[in-house]
Amino acid sequence: MNPILVIAEILGNRIGPVTLELVSAARMIRDSYPGGSSDKGGDTRENNSRILIVVPHRRPVPLADQLAADTGLDTIALSLPDTRACRNEVVKEALVALMKKTAPSHVLAAHTALGREIAPGLAVRLGAASIAGVIGIRSCSPDGGAPVFTRPVMDNTRVQAVEPDPNLPAVLTLVPGAFPRFSGKAVSGGRVLEETAAIDLRKLRTVQKKHLKPVGSSQALKSARVVVAAGRGIGEKENLGAVSQFAGAFPSSALAASRPLVDMGWIGYERQVGVTGASVSPDLYIACGISGSSQHLAGIKDAKYVVSINKNPDAPICRHSDLCITADVMAFIREFQLKSGEGE
Amino acid sequence: MNMNILVCIKQGPGEQVMGQFEELALEQGLALKDALLASGLKSDKEPPILDVITAGPDSDLADDMIRRAYGMGADKGIIVRTKTNGLMPAFNTASLLAGAAKSRYDLILTGIMSQDLMAGQTGPMLAELLSIPWAAGVVKVDLLPGKPALRVEQEMDKGGRQVLDISLPALLTIQSGGVPRYPTLSNMLKAGDKPITLLEEAGLCPVPRRETFIAMETPVKTRDGLEIKGNLKDQVDKFYKFLRGKNFI
Repeated sequence: MNPILVIAEILGNRIGPVTLELVSAARMIRDSYPGGSSDKGGDTRENNSRILIVVPHRRPVPLADQLAADTGLDTIALSLPDTRACRNEVVKEALVALMKKTAPSHVLAAHTALGREIAPGLAVRLGAASIAGVIGIRSCSPDGGAPVFTRPVMDNTRVQAVEPDPNLPAVLTLVPGAFPRFSGKAVSGGRVLEETAAIDLRKLRTVQKKHLKPVGSSQALKSARVVVAAGRGIGEKENLGAVSQFAGAFPSSALAASRPLVDMGWIGYERQVGVTGASVSPDLYIACGISGSSQHLAGIKDAKYVVSINKNPDAPICRHSDLCITADVMAFIREFQLKSGEGE
Repeated sequence: MNMNILVCIKQGPGEQVMGQFEELALEQGLALKDALLASGLKSDKEPPILDVITAGPDSDLADDMIRRAYGMGADKGIIVRTKTNGLMPAFNTASLLAGAAKSRYDLILTGIMSQDLMAGQTGPMLAELLSIPWAAGVVKVDLLPGKPALRVEQEMDKGGRQVLDISLPALLTIQSGGVPRYPTLSNMLKAGDKPITLLEEAGLCPVPRRETFIAMETPVKTRDGLEIKGNLKDQVDKFYKFLRGKNFI
């Protein structure tokens, strides 16, 4: 049977934890097909051989050893050449060559900067179906069979189910946090197979110059008990003052913002909340005029209570709020200040 | 240095004429075109051009969007008319765009993703089909004078950035950078009469679909989403009750 390939996410010299989420997803895909080489689902030597992990790195063997031992899955230590080219380009070319050798049925990568950049091109080169930003896997019939993949669409207001052509391989990127991390005990350690990437270096057309570290998030933001965040619904940059005063109504509070405000230069990056920016876990998060993109929601999932104020009742944030107030946010804030001023 | 730029655009949701990231990509292209013009060109060199292209079913909204692009400063607009309604998978769109773009452009720009499909695949696939390098999630683009290359900053996970030089022709998908300009009155007046090139899907060798979009459903809630209804005063009163009850004020 064709293997399911998992592309390990490597952060510097460590295995990114999302790799174990990809392993769980690979097992779900494997177990959704009845029969195959073994009619017993779950962990057996035969079933585990259906999944292969690939570690693309300059010195991949120690990382591959660790993954093979932890997951019980065979792991390919794919050595990348020393080159000035951008890592993503090198990884993509290395994987194309490897995929042609291993002929996978599915290729799983994380929906991260690397995965988003290389997966679509990989699919084109392999003649594969390609599904990006997967958040769920389901079998389309009770007897099992080719699984179907779900992903967010329409400004995060809907979820789409996608079926890849069953006659083609499928390249998938999975959203970090959408699948559980594999934490079982391995049946027995997987083997480590060493491979050197077969790349024509002359074909590479990027040159990596440097990395810039992100500016940190505001400490006040991370430790505040109440966070009041402004989004595009506040209308104008000048309204930030009123939002800030609103935040001031609560002790131990901080002002935050969604990404678009930072991109427009209305407020500094240290106030940004989201998958890039801070992840906050206040007792109360008040989202003012924020629609609820998945990138923003990722930064607030650990808040104890979420209240959203948005004039659009269908805004995605309502499904991820405890209280949903449909109102023009600036009008609501003015009314709130009136009431506070009256001393109730 | 001369540069022919192509920007791939798509409509936004509802009444939004152009997608949010598409508009940012167009702005980035126009800013580069401005920079090239400002850097001065020898009279025997052709000036830089910026064209826009979109693929989709017959719609007045597509025309409106191209005219808006003209208003912002685009030179030529191309509509690839497709027969299907609803979302089209990225590979199919990219294949049509590749057929229309061929290899006439030094730089192709797309948004990092579209608001409807939210996949971010069309740009990278188009680049692969044209065998050109690409960078996704770009937040800054600079010309490298005298070199057929650009210096770009790409956003990495957790907000860090990577700086890389990418040789032209290339494709960039734009995450942010610059506030999209308003169309100018004089451009909009000319836009009404400017032709739009129409290409039919069949003429561009459409390919079979590799993915089937089966269904669309409402996402699962992660929290209760209890609605606070009533007029503004009622809403504030109920909010106050909630805050009091949990000792936030």
